[in-house]
Amino acid sequence: MLVIRRRPGEAIRIGEDVEIEIIECGPKRVKLGIRAPKEVPVWRAETKAAREQNIAAAGWAGTGALPSLAHRPGWPGAPGIFAEVRRSRL
Amino acid sequence: MMLHTTHFGAIPVDESATIEFPEGLPGFESCRRFVPLESAGGPGLIFLQSLERQQLCFITLPLRSLWPDYELAISAEERDLLGLDPDQTQAPHDLVLLAILSFVEGEDPTANLLAPVVIHAGTRRAVQVVRQDGRYPIQTPLPVGEMSCS
Repeated sequence: MLVIRRRPGEAIRIGEDVEIEIIECGPKRVKLGIRAPKEVPVWRAETKAAREQNIAAAGWAGTGALPSLAHRPGWPGAPGIFAEVRRSRL
Repeated sequence: MMLHTTHFGAIPVDESATIEFPEGLPGFESCRRFVPLESAGGPGLIFLQSLERQQLCFITLPLRSLWPDYELAISAEERDLLGLDPDQTQAPHDLVLLAILSFVEGEDPTANLLAPVVIHAGTRRAVQVVRQDGRYPIQTPLPVGEMSCS
């Protein structure tokens, strides 16, 4: 791993298009500013698992997801669940 | 407006019913607007239907209906995204927590309790909060036989 020391206000560049600026440095956290082209995704490392789980969760169609819920004891409304949807109370 | 969806066909959606994720969701950063739908046939699930991608719909359930003791700390940054007063440390009552369900063929469905969706019903803004502790797994089995609570 490459280790570089920087001060607030200084920056590093990755490739031609990505720049990371150290905006603020506190005792426990640093605040970074990231300039990158729109097509370069930037995300916090700890969201990686959440990201993968979201992608898996979004692919439920064709897994028999709703019928599997229908057969769960106590499940109230799965048969014909797609027959009608309405705005949630949320 | 009429929203064309892969799973529900064309449904009328009221502009005021939509929810905005200012940062999208991890993996779906460009999907900012969703509408929560529920089945008229039975209470329980809430479908988070994307306005930008007609095939994208998360199946969720209100988290506290199955895990009433679930607790979540919301950071200042997340509070800001939700449109909450950053100095307000007390969670307002109109925060709704949803768990996204996952389905794998031949396996029992699981709920993502590591990263719940938090919706502020007042501002209609939402954020998916990724917990920093390991208290709840990302694939939590659903308790059997307790799905009837609304």
